[in-house]
Amino acid sequence: MSGAIDLKAGAMLPVREIVVTPERVQWYGDGMHSAATGELRRAGQNIHTDAEYAKGQGLTTAIADGMMSTAWISSMLLKAFGRDYLERGELRTKYIKTTDVGITLKILGRVRERDTQGDGSVRFVLDVWTENLAGVKLTEGDAVIEVRSLGNDS
Amino acid sequence: MLGGMISDLETGDEFQPIRYTVTSLMTAEYAHGVEETDEWFLSDANPLGRQVRIPLMIHADKMRLLEVNCPAEARLSGIRGPDARVHYEYHARHRSPAYVGEELVVSGRILERYTRRRRVYLHYAMEVHTGDGRLVTEYTDRTLLKYLPGEL
Repeated sequence: MSGAIDLKAGAMLPVREIVVTPERVQWYGDGMHSAATGELRRAGQNIHTDAEYAKGQGLTTAIADGMMSTAWISSMLLKAFGRDYLERGELRTKYIKTTDVGITLKILGRVRERDTQGDGSVRFVLDVWTENLAGVKLTEGDAVIEVRSLGNDS
Repeated sequence: MLGGMISDLETGDEFQPIRYTVTSLMTAEYAHGVEETDEWFLSDANPLGRQVRIPLMIHADKMRLLEVNCPAEARLSGIRGPDARVHYEYHARHRSPAYVGEELVVSGRILERYTRRRRVYLHYAMEVHTGDGRLVTEYTDRTLLKYLPGEL
């Protein structure tokens, strides 16, 4: 059974802090390229892996791929909602400021709405976001998950 | 316009769909890339009994579509355009899990090309179905064609 069923409106999901290291950025690029080609690949020089190239593109330094923030938010939702998130989840993220390589990022999620439906399922709407240690929001978005799997393993 | 660079894409462009079979390597390597260690994506030892394609791989599917439809900027092949693209919005609706071994068909189009605060954006719509027609993911995406400093 999904443990999320007990979450009330206003509840925060467990917060995670992540240092955005160059190695993590490279891992993401390698994983994405390998997934997209079906063979082991290493991501080349780009705005995520090369600070000088990034500066030439108008950035102040190399930046994390936005998908890394989305992935860490997605992982938080998977831990909370399990199979229901995989089967029927919805996630929207918007990268409103760049996530510079080297910063520490906080991954956050709060239940905005919790509604029991006529069929007994529970629909959750969450605000999700990332912020730096100064509390500046870098990525914002929302998620919708309908929890039906009262008898399912999460 | 299809057939050129990503920056040539226009409102209404309909991508040539791509097909591929999900492998364990694709799923596991993407999972490693995002440090996702759950058995859902690494093996069959999960409540669904089959290794699941991580839903975030819709982003890799977008790269596959662009590789075929924008050959002058085939980034997976190392061909880069003059400007780095910057992802602005991800919006995925999971409709059913896809599993290792399943064939997937990825289709998509450009809903809109627009300019806001001097920045040019592409608004993509994509769908992923299994080879036998089951809907897996509906997805929309906004990408900035060239970074300009300041609030996006």
